[in-house]
Parts: sequence; structure tokens; C-alpha cells
Amino acid sequence: MELLGQLGTGFAVALSPDNLLYCFVGVLIGTLVGVLPGIGPIAAMSLLLPATFAIPPTGAVIMLAGIYYGSMYGGSTTSILVRIPGEAASVVTCLDGHEMAKQGRAGAALFVAAIGSFFAGTVALVGLILVAPLMITVALAFGPAEYCALMLLGLCLIAYLSQASVIKSLVMAGIGLVLGLVGIDSINALPRLTFDRLELLDGIGLVPVVMGLFGVAEIFKNLEQGTDRTVVESKVGRLWLTSTDWIQSRWAIVRGTALGFVLGILPGGGAVISSFVSYAMERRLSKTPERFGKGAIEGVAGPEAANNAAAGSAFIPLMTLGIPPNAVLALLLGALIIHNVPVGPTMITQRPDLFWGVVASMYVGNVMLLVLNLPLIGLWVKCLQVPYGILFPLILLFCCIGVYATSGQIFDLYVMIAFGIGGWLVARWGYEPAPLVLGFVLGPMFENNLRKALILSRGSWMTFIERPISAFFVLASAIILATALVPWINAKRKEIAVEG
Amino acid sequence: MTKTLWTPSRRRFITSSSAAALAGLAAPGLAQSRFPNRPVTLIVPWTAGGSTDMGFRALAEATQKHLGERIVVENKPGAGGTLGPAQMAASARPDGYTLAQMPITMFRLPHMTRVAFNPLTDFSYVVHVAGYCFGTTVRADSPHKTMKDLIEFARANPDKVTYGTPGAGTSLHITMMDIAARENIKWTHVPFRGASETNAAVLGGHVTAQADSSGWAPLVNAGQLRLLATWGKKRTKTWSSVPTLQESGIDIVSNSPFGIAGPKGMDPGIVKVLHDAFKKGIEEPDHMRVMDQLDQEVDYMDTQSYEAFVKTMYEDMRQQVERLGLRRS
Repeated sequence: MELLGQLGTGFAVALSPDNLLYCFVGVLIGTLVGVLPGIGPIAAMSLLLPATFAIPPTGAVIMLAGIYYGSMYGGSTTSILVRIPGEAASVVTCLDGHEMAKQGRAGAALFVAAIGSFFAGTVALVGLILVAPLMITVALAFGPAEYCALMLLGLCLIAYLSQASVIKSLVMAGIGLVLGLVGIDSINALPRLTFDRLELLDGIGLVPVVMGLFGVAEIFKNLEQGTDRTVVESKVGRLWLTSTDWIQSRWAIVRGTALGFVLGILPGGGAVISSFVSYAMERRLSKTPERFGKGAIEGVAGPEAANNAAAGSAFIPLMTLGIPPNAVLALLLGALIIHNVPVGPTMITQRPDLFWGVVASMYVGNVMLLVLNLPLIGLWVKCLQVPYGILFPLILLFCCIGVYATSGQIFDLYVMIAFGIGGWLVARWGYEPAPLVLGFVLGPMFENNLRKALILSRGSWMTFIERPISAFFVLASAIILATALVPWINAKRKEIAVEG
Repeated sequence: MTKTLWTPSRRRFITSSSAAALAGLAAPGLAQSRFPNRPVTLIVPWTAGGSTDMGFRALAEATQKHLGERIVVENKPGAGGTLGPAQMAASARPDGYTLAQMPITMFRLPHMTRVAFNPLTDFSYVVHVAGYCFGTTVRADSPHKTMKDLIEFARANPDKVTYGTPGAGTSLHITMMDIAARENIKWTHVPFRGASETNAAVLGGHVTAQADSSGWAPLVNAGQLRLLATWGKKRTKTWSSVPTLQESGIDIVSNSPFGIAGPKGMDPGIVKVLHDAFKKGIEEPDHMRVMDQLDQEVDYMDTQSYEAFVKTMYEDMRQQVERLGLRRS
């Protein structure tokens, strides 16, 4: 009851005309930066931060938070339409989302992404209110050994990521792992594979890699093929979901939400893993796994829900401990500090109006986002009808702006182009980029946590089995590997038998 | 300077210097008296939204009204904060329109590895701004009440004490190594990736202690972490009851001081215009307030003092790197 009262106070704050306006401005900017690849919420929020000094802290936080979760909504749009993921978490959305677009089902893909995001965003908020203290205990139980085991699980998902052969996926993942080694090693601070270039000391940037591998490579591929354009164009049609779509995606949304909510509270990498895990899980649970990679709607619905639920639950460690689990929320934390808000465990008691006001504003913001995004779907889909001669240069331009805005380094543009050419070449031989991204993102985290866990255990590998959470992930990884590899090995045996 | 390292920048340098030649033809001798007549770019070699970025955005905001032109903050993160200033030194004209934050890594990295810049000769120093607030914390229920307790425990139990830092080779890590070397104790470094991870690690009991910049502030204020010592010259305003390292018997000050510089060869008149504007900007209440909230300690020095300080700091870093065996090649 007390909870409802507090939430009521929160809504009173969130629904005041000023705060409604701030919330709307926030989600609108969020949608825009989400749609523009590479120009992420961090850039938008840090540019706007000085401007928020003039408005009350509650309004400022409502607006900045709106940019954050608004950008999560918009992030799927370019992944689906033109196969440009703005961040690692939307790489998965490219896989089936863009296939759907090619089949003329861009509308359905965007629609299910919006609905999934809305559901996940709203449910994550309920979770944020109800189970925040409990979740914090779980998050703090995660030490290096647990993180390492979770990353191991993530790496095992490679087996489910790709249409190509398991061998080809492993090759790509291996390349990703090696690329992830570039830069100052995180334990001994020694440079690896940097070739004495300062640009490489911090490693290769994720944004130029994913934009190159997906966006730029896709353009090269289309230029090469050239002609099948009319196929996409003629079948844009239907925006609403068919009943089959709905049946296929509804449980994927629910499962993705649960996954994203749990993994999203972990500082560092939780959101990325949750979208990959969700994809792998849907493919594993599906009765028709062969549809994945060829436009399966569950492959869009699940990861998008996971992504957005993770964005919501990421607020738990921020609001209850003052620990931001990702870079965007670190920026929000900075904004709170500058606005002299007592961040951390005392925030809820010292500034209940602000805490509950922001939580309530997120409900309001999610509704606004849905209302804002659904009519836009038709508009986005129309973008596909823009002639290639105009569309491709525009996509390239946005990729360049996005990459440059992220780091301010010309060098990163060269990286993007190199990965574009590389991605196009390997695709011709049937290799897919998603396992590379997974290896590239998870590899460094895996290594760092593995080595930290071994430092803390004084070199004993038993630490991964002795600690229950870690043991659980290790076991789950083993099961995943087994279930993925056994059918493949059996198939190989049969092949050999037939050939023999 | 090895030119091969800087291909992209060199090309930009050529285009910008030909632009300079044209500008010089149009208005000979006037540039200096009119400075500044267009926006000034201030390179912050850290990601947007970090604590350095927020401080510098506040400083830019506070300074531009005294300078009479906009100051545009440009984030060029990389190589521990050295990439932005190094590229500026290699490619920007010394006309006062391109400046950069000079983090401590500019003075440490050249001693550790081969770099393409020399902090003593490649820059025109303008003004020293501030230092960060570093500190050591333990969980509130820890038996260690003071820095001395922690050190004595480590002495009695070699390698038992583990401490988290935001990364290997950071000032936090190096200072903790320095403390161990001076006190002749052994403790185990566990490098995390940023403050949110070290906070969670010490709070979750995965490490004994945490050495980090003031990301621990919310948890210290809420009584979940205990701040054993801050590392500045004097006690902080916010945690005035917490002793410094020096007061704890360890003669170290570590606050990674930083200032602003441009490329070498800037006209002294232009440096003076910039210095005077930044001095006023630093002292603006809005900037001071933001710095207080970010727990950064304002430490103004004029151009001459900063230049002298840079020489001492560079030599100190050389000795530290040698003492701790951090040289790589």
C-alpha cells in the first residue's frame, strides 16, 4: 500500500506539465539519436547536460533518462532496415530483422520490436520497484569468477548464432577474440598487437567494427548484386502482425524480458549478453530452428525485449547504490551529482519525489514512445523505397558521422572501411560476422575476469566450480555445447557414412 | 618525432597550413591583436560524460564569457588520455584556437614506452587547473579502520590484502604499488575496468580494499564503504574528518594534476589572453560548484608556475617509473 502511495506521488510529479514536456523532449531526442546510427545517447546527453543546469533536477533527470531509454527503442530501426547496428546489443537484431525487411516484412519487424520494447520496458519498471533490493544482493554476489563463467556461457552461444557451419562460426569467433586482444592488456598494462600506434593502445573501437562489418559490408554486397532491389520494394505492404507472427513472438518477448531484466543489472556487458542469450534461447526452443537467420520474427522479438528490459533494470544499481552499469548511466550519475542529488543508497529516502517521479516518468515515457514509434514505422519502411543511388551514399554518410562522433578519430573511419571490405569478402565465402562481434566483445571481458578470478584464488581453477553461481554457468555452458555439437557431429557421421 | 606515425594528421596539417598562409596574406599582423575572433577548440582526451569531461565543459562554459568567443569541447579519448594532446601537438597550428587538457599520463607514458611526443618541448603550457580526488576505501564492516591498520595487516599477512583499481597502470595502481614499495609490504592488485566495477567488487567482498577516484562517494556518504584516506595535499572539503596519506604516515601525494596547453610555439600574447580568461573561468562560482560536486580540487597555477611544475612532474614520473620497474622496452 505504501508502495502505491509512493508511486502515486511519483505520478503526480511526472504528470506535471513541465515534467511531461521534459519527458517528451527526452524520448523524442532519444528516438532520433537511436535511429541515427552511431550518434548514441552518450553524445546527445553530454551535449544537453550543460543546458539542464537551468532546470530543476527532477526535470533534468526525467529528460536525460528519456534520451537513454528512447534511444533503446530507436536502435532497432536501422538494424532492421539497412543492417546497421548502432551498438553491440542490436547486432542480433540485424540477423533476422534485416532478413524480414528483405522479404518485405520490415513493417512487422519494426512493429514487433516496438511492442517487445514497450512490454519489456514496462515490466522492467515493475521489477525495478518490487525486487530492486533483492536484485542488488545478486549483483553484488557477482565477482570475477562469476563474470568469467557468464562470459564463457556467452561465448558458447556462438554455436547458435550462425547459419554457416560450426567451423566457420568458430573461425570468425576466433578472429574476434584476436581482435579483442589489441591494445593495453588489462592486467599487466602491456601493449599487445599495437604496432607502436597510439590509436591502437585502447584497442579497436567496437562501433567502427560493427558498422563496417554490417552496414558498410551490406552496401558492398548490394552493389555487387545490384538487381534484386525490386523484390524488397514491391512487398513493403503490411505493417501489422499476422496472427502467426503474434503466436510466434509473444513468448519470445516474455522470455527476453525476464532474461534482460536479470542480466541488465550486472555492471559491464549484461545488456549485450542478454540479447545474444535471448536469440540463442529462442532458436533452441523453436520447433523450426531452420527459420532463424532467414527472417524468424522470434529472433527480433526476444533480443529486442531483452535489450530494453536490460536498459530498465540497469537503473537498479544506479538508483540503489550509485553504481552505473554502463557508460550512459555513468553519465546520468554525473548529471545527478552535478545537480546535487544525493545519489546512492540514501537517494530513495532523501529525495523520494525525485526517485518516484523519475520511475513514474518512465511509464509515461514508454507510452509516449509507443505512440511516437508506431506511426513512424510506415515512414521508416518508406525509406527502403528511396533509390539505391541516394540511399547508399546516405547510409555511408551516417556511418561515417556516427563513427567519427564516437571517437573523434579519422583512424576509426579507416577501421570501419577495412572491416567493411573484410566483412564483404568473408561473406562471399559463407562466413558470418555475428560470431566475430560476440568474440570481440566478450573476449576481453572473459580474459580480464578469468585472470582476476585466478589472481584472487591464487591460481586455483577450482574457484569456478566451488562458487555456486559460477558452477551453474559452467554447467550451462557445457550443456549448450553438448546440445549444439551432438546433432552436428551426428550429421557429420551420417555424411561420412553416406559418402563412404 | 617519427612522421610515419601520423599520416592522417599530417595531411590535415598541410591543408590547414595552406589555409594559414592565405589567412596571413589577407590580414598580416592583425591576427594577434584580434585574438580570438572565432571559436576555440578544447580537446578533452576522455569520453564525453566522464568526470573530466563534465569539469571541462563547466570550465568552457564559465570561461567563454571572459574570452569573448565560444569554447567548443571536443572529446578525443584514447591511449590513457595521451592521444588527443599528442595529435594536437602533431597537427594543430599554435594559434591559440586548439588547446587540450594535459593529463598526468602525458608525463608518465614517455618513460614507460616509445611515444611520438615530448611533453617538455612539444607544448605551450597555458594554465594549471586542478587535480582529482583519489582515496582508499574498505567495506563498512571491515576490521581496518585506518590506512595504518590496513598496512599493518598486509605486513602480517603478505599477499592476503587484495585491492581493486580502475585499471592496470593507472595512477591508482601505481600509487598503491608505491605505498607497498615504501612500506615494504605485499598486497595483490586486481585491475577492474572503471569505478562501477571496483565499487561493486569491494561492496560484494570480492576484494579487501578499493583505490579509486571519487566514484565511491555515494557509498561512503551512505555509510556502506569506509574511506581510509584521501590522497591529496590537504584534506577534502567533503570528507574533512578523513586524513590524507601524508597524515597517515605515508609521504605520497597523488591526485593526477592537470592543466591546459596548446601546440608548441604559441605567441606569448595569445597565451596571456587565454590564461587570463581561463583564470577568471576557473574562479567562476558555477565552475567551482561543479568541481566541488565532482570532488576535483581546483589548484590554479599561472603559466610560469605551470611550466616549472611540468618539469618537476616529468622528472618525478621518471624516477617513479624506474623505481617501480614499469619501463617496457
